[in-house]
Amino acid sequence: MRIKSYEDMNLQELDVMKEISSIGTSHAATSLSKLLQKEVRITIPEVSVLGYEEAVERIGEIEELVAATLVQMSRDVNGLILFIFKMDMANVVLEKLIGNRYASFEEMDELSYSALEEVGNIIICSYVNAFAQLVGVDIDLSVPSSTVNMLGGILTVPIAEYGYETDKLMYINAEFVMDGVRLSDGLLMLPDIESLNSILEKLGVLS
Amino acid sequence: MKFARGEGEIITYALGSCIGITLYDPFLKLGGLLHVMLPMRTDPNDQKVYKYADTGLREMIRKLSAFGMVKSRTIVKIAGGAKMFEIRGNSDFGNIGQRNAAMVKKVLMEERLRISAEDTGGSSARTMSINVATGDVIIRSAGKPEKHL
Repeated sequence: MRIKSYEDMNLQELDVMKEISSIGTSHAATSLSKLLQKEVRITIPEVSVLGYEEAVERIGEIEELVAATLVQMSRDVNGLILFIFKMDMANVVLEKLIGNRYASFEEMDELSYSALEEVGNIIICSYVNAFAQLVGVDIDLSVPSSTVNMLGGILTVPIAEYGYETDKLMYINAEFVMDGVRLSDGLLMLPDIESLNSILEKLGVLS
Repeated sequence: MKFARGEGEIITYALGSCIGITLYDPFLKLGGLLHVMLPMRTDPNDQKVYKYADTGLREMIRKLSAFGMVKSRTIVKIAGGAKMFEIRGNSDFGNIGQRNAAMVKKVLMEERLRISAEDTGGSSARTMSINVATGDVIIRSAGKPEKHL
């Protein structure tokens, strides 16, 4: 049966997404670890299909300022992939790369800002590459685009983009553990429904 | 869509590409706030009328009119419609905010409602609230002072 919306996925299909996500996330963690020259461990990802309010609640506060990097996927899989930095995670990265800590995103200078964008992009690319290899698809990625904005506003971007198809988001949440601190990785991979079907079909789980 | 009469505050958080629209009848102290996400309803069976600018606004006007709102004295303010991400080589991406704003203005014009103030476009998410006792509309946006529309 073809899937018409994210929430149509059954347990087995969600399990498969979790499995691929886990591989994607560990590749992302490896890249991050190389970049920061720091041990990065990950927890097993959870894949959840959430409505907008639930997604906001799960990630943080609706008006909380976060930095987000967005990349558009095309070719075999169409969709969006979003990486969200909360302040704590941003500080771990920036302290190591630039030697700076900030109390808020508003204080950040151009250099730190582009460093975050780059790290977001690296995490996304290694995630998608591992994912594409495993599923056996070709995925082209757009140039990354970043913003510092209210979390609630950022999450409306995919919601509006797919607004005519679904009201849900697929949130893949793993935690990066660095220096004994658990930091949520805030990765949202959002293939459109058509692509989600072809991914599940390729993996032979579409019942 | 929420509305109130006499007193109270209605608020909608973090409008990105979405648009917030307030209608306020100062004589009745009747105010409503609508938050739309997309310009047009394409599936006539879709029950979520408030999600779309065209059906949402019409339903809001119908409801508030039933409570006595008179169009000629109604104050209309809109905010939102930001473009938060810019993807190089794909200028179409994320212009949903612009399309939302255009649709909201079109429907308001058809309904013969004049916009008295707006804060749309740009790249920042906004929180919009209306105080129903005074009709005061406040916009909050990251890194900027509060703005009274």
